[in-house]
Amino acid sequence: MIKVNGLSHSYNKDGKYAVKDVSFEVKEGEVFGFLGPSGAGKSTTQNILTGLLKLQEGEVTVAGYDVKHIKNEMFNRIGMSFEQSNVYSKMTAKENLDFYRKLFDVETKEPQFLLDLVGLGDKGNIKAGEFSKGMKHRLTFARSMINNPTLWFLDEPTTGLDPSIAADIKDIIKAENKKGVTVFLTTHNMYIADELCDRVAFIVDGDIKLIDSPKNLKMQYGDKLVEVEYIKDGETINESLSTIEENDKKKLQDIIGQSDIQTMHTKEATLEEIFIKGTGRGLI
Amino acid sequence: MKLWYSFTKELKLSSKGFYFYIEILMAVIIITVLLVFIPENIKNISDEYLMLDMPAAVEEQFISPLLSQDLDGEIEIVALELDKEMMDVRLIESEDQRIYLIDNRDNLIALSKKDRPSASAYISGDDISKLTYEYYIQGYESERLQNLYMIIHIEDIMTIANLASNQKVVALDADYDHLNSRESALPALLTFNGSMMGLFIIAAYIFLDRQQGIIKAYAITASRVWQYLMSQVLVLMTVTTLTTFAILLAVMGFKANYLMVILLLLPSAFFFSSLGLWVASFFTNLTQAFGAIYFLMMAFMLPAIAYFIPSWEPLWIKFLPTYYLIQGFKESIIDNGDMGFVLLASGIYLGVGIITFLLANSRFEKTLTA
Repeated sequence: MIKVNGLSHSYNKDGKYAVKDVSFEVKEGEVFGFLGPSGAGKSTTQNILTGLLKLQEGEVTVAGYDVKHIKNEMFNRIGMSFEQSNVYSKMTAKENLDFYRKLFDVETKEPQFLLDLVGLGDKGNIKAGEFSKGMKHRLTFARSMINNPTLWFLDEPTTGLDPSIAADIKDIIKAENKKGVTVFLTTHNMYIADELCDRVAFIVDGDIKLIDSPKNLKMQYGDKLVEVEYIKDGETINESLSTIEENDKKKLQDIIGQSDIQTMHTKEATLEEIFIKGTGRGLI
Repeated sequence: MKLWYSFTKELKLSSKGFYFYIEILMAVIIITVLLVFIPENIKNISDEYLMLDMPAAVEEQFISPLLSQDLDGEIEIVALELDKEMMDVRLIESEDQRIYLIDNRDNLIALSKKDRPSASAYISGDDISKLTYEYYIQGYESERLQNLYMIIHIEDIMTIANLASNQKVVALDADYDHLNSRESALPALLTFNGSMMGLFIIAAYIFLDRQQGIIKAYAITASRVWQYLMSQVLVLMTVTTLTTFAILLAVMGFKANYLMVILLLLPSAFFFSSLGLWVASFFTNLTQAFGAIYFLMMAFMLPAIAYFIPSWEPLWIKFLPTYYLIQGFKESIIDNGDMGFVLLASGIYLGVGIITFLLANSRFEKTLTA
């Protein structure tokens, strides 16, 4: 669905690259996570893929269209939910969606259906300017679905949402993906990436450091640990022990046999830990 | 159709916005000023201070033709103030002139310095045909007027008057009407209201949309950037047409040639809005763009000075686009105006407007979403 080969971009064309020689591929029906800290090149890459930035170097194909010579039809196939809500504040939620659906040449979703979907069903006649930040974000998210996109760009789709609404949004993404929609998810939230993505790419300083499925990355980079809290000689002790290394395995058996265990659970490495391990950089 | 949807949406949004009301307010201010503060015909009465140093008989000869134009045919005695003292002087007052006859040369000079009359002269001699004129000027008079003072008395004044009255003047277009004082102010004000406000306001609209990130959302649709830009231009053209017609109807009723007005108004509004877009494309916000827009607006107002003061019309002013708009509006609202000029100006505005719009579009395609 997306093919990127040797993509580089310099804002001032001064040899300082926001992204440099980036190559990756996103398969149809896949949820692809593009992860990295602020300024890593996520937005630059996404803006080039969506035609918001002119392609300078490299080859990029999106939904079968060459991004170097973007055709308007491409936008009938893609949708984008922005991190910063950008809706017409002086128009109602319904008017916003009504207007945008007229700008596409394909069958569009009913505004009321979309508003119901994101939990704004009873807010359709309220001006977007009167919405809270989270409501505006949901409206922006709903708008990105209006043209039934087959390729869906999502930029921090759950940022600023309370947990229950964020869970609903994640469910919508999963449901759309089940219908065959390809998702390009840009985020620095490793938990949502872990939950939703089939594959993730870690980008730092404009360079992709790792691409793989979260599971494979965990297998490759994560340590298998058991965290145990026990009381020995009246003292509470916390320890992380490997389930692979012989010494730790033996120590764990000893603790189980001889001590009063308070808590014990296996601990899988998080994507965030793998990111730090794999790229040598934090996410902020 | 997408252009239509964008246009109607922008029109609806602008009607809820601050800048729309600025345009309406401008139109209301113009109508109020024209109808309340500017009379239909402004009388231009000039003051002249003269001292006549001549025998009584010659003085009577000199005064006689002036007195024949006096409102009541009699010399009045009035008081003028000089150094906090009042002095009696004689006054001959016609419809467009007040001539004060002062008896003392020092007082003439002092009063001329203080009151700055349009003319001030010491006239002496024993023979009406051989008088000597000594003019006191303020220093800011044009070279033309100074030259005129120097040559006007070379010939006998009566000879010049006779020559002037024998001169045959033929009007090339006898049907050419005249605008009254109020109507004369319209061309410059319409230019300011419509086109120049459009230049500023379209930039404001663009920056507002850019700030809210709306343009990015628009760019991810199957609509084109030019449709977005054109919808903004169309909004400005619509509002300009409405406010211009409101002003014209209030001031002139149905006297103006509205067909010609709209033929000039639409292409010129298109050009100035496109120019506003093009200028805006070089900046990221209104604060940054303000200097450039302000400079353009000030420069574009200069032809209005040339319009109100016809003696000041340097060649370079004809290169400013508002020069032809002011003249075009004048021809459009005057009875039997030069329609050829209006059509030519409209065509040029349309042509240059299309080029400017294409340039703006090209710039925005690269920078709109940055």
